Amino acid sequence: MVRQRFFFLIVFIFLVGLGSCQSVKPWQRGTLAKPEMQLEVDKLGSQLYSLVYFSKEASSGGSEVAGAGCGCN
Amino acid sequence: MALSTAALSLPAFSASQPPEIELSLKTSVYKEGDVPIHRVVSGSEERYEIDIQQFYLLTPVARNWSLAFNASHETMSGASPWGTVPGIDGRPTLIMSGATIRDSRTELSVGVNRYTDNASFGIGFTHSNEDDYEADAIVLSGEWDFNNKLSTLALGLSYSDDKIEPTDALLFGRVQKEDKRSRSFSISWTQVLNKTSLLQSGLSVTKQDGYLTDPYKLRDVRPDERLEWALSLRYRKFFENPDGALHLDYRYYDDDFGVHSHTVQTAWYQNISEQFQLVPSLRYYSQREADFYLAIDDFTLPLIVNQSSDYRLSTYGAYTFGLKGIFKHNNWSVNISLDRYISNDKYALSDAQFKHPALLDFSLMSVGFDIRF
Repeated sequence: MVRQRFFFLIVFIFLVGLGSCQSVKPWQRGTLAKPEMQLEVDKLGSQLYSLVYFSKEASSGGSEVAGAGCGCN
Repeated sequence: MALSTAALSLPAFSASQPPEIELSLKTSVYKEGDVPIHRVVSGSEERYEIDIQQFYLLTPVARNWSLAFNASHETMSGASPWGTVPGIDGRPTLIMSGATIRDSRTELSVGVNRYTDNASFGIGFTHSNEDDYEADAIVLSGEWDFNNKLSTLALGLSYSDDKIEPTDALLFGRVQKEDKRSRSFSISWTQVLNKTSLLQSGLSVTKQDGYLTDPYKLRDVRPDERLEWALSLRYRKFFENPDGALHLDYRYYDDDFGVHSHTVQTAWYQNISEQFQLVPSLRYYSQREADFYLAIDDFTLPLIVNQSSDYRLSTYGAYTFGLKGIFKHNNWSVNISLDRYISNDKYALSDAQFKHPALLDFSLMSVGFDIRF
């Protein structure tokens, strides 16, 4: 039941997001191109956090595939 | 009005060739807090300290290619939990290893990407090596832009072949040589919502099979297959006033060990001046324990019955508080960050029978350098 609620919540957020889409011309994308607006601002920092949490918690994954395993988990 | 270079560039999530060379270095120190001495029956209460060095290079090659190279090296020392027994109060008490565990890990990755007008295709290889563990992985990826590059579909496939050779296997009666394999698939959709915000939703599925047990635990028996899936949402929103960007991420994770978890992470990128940025962050994590998790090892159970007292499979919740400073000058920048992680069974969304005495607190400090040319 809890899983279903979260699944529907995620679908809802996604649909609301898509529903609020606006046309953005190439010359209007300066803000989106700012470093702080990237999905991964700090490549090495993201890798480091992924490794630490992969090693110390039971969960991993999300939007990317798993990399090489390590003896840490 | 003249257009700035930034205005003509594209968000980095699109399938576009990088316009310049990116080089990054980072050095970090990870330190775990000691376990409570009164909950240790034997061994050391001092836990891991890890020094981490990382290197990343991304360079465009010719008109339609790019090459990425990644290297990291970790040296670690400290003690880890071997198992649990009941204390005089009936609560779990730890059997720890000695403090003499020393290991190092080196990981090397190389990746090549090919770009077309609205798509990119990549292949990457990773090799990871440590004293008792070796892994080789291959990753295939593809990205496609739609709607005048306002939408990006990304697909990924990976396969990892891992070999486990525990140290002192004969001395402690551990397995001598085992292997495991991981196959992973991911799909994500990134959508520009308007001039100042975007949303990415993603799904990943990973199947592991082989030896999934921890060979260093006194009694640890896990299934030889594990199916994991995770749903994620990542949202970015820029606010002109007060000149900052909000990052808001959520992940739901579930696997057939019986673990499921929620992760919420947020960060605020505040521009203090043209050269200085301050980034406070907060992460909350909560997981439910695995079906075969036992707070106290049961040595009377047959060896074919799954059980594990690994704190990482217990019910708990955790907070990470982070602060990062970024100083930018021309084409280079320096960043310094400090993160503090605390965990407790009381932070979890569900109830635990006992608090595991090995639940972690750790600090992570990093200094990084980035340059583009």
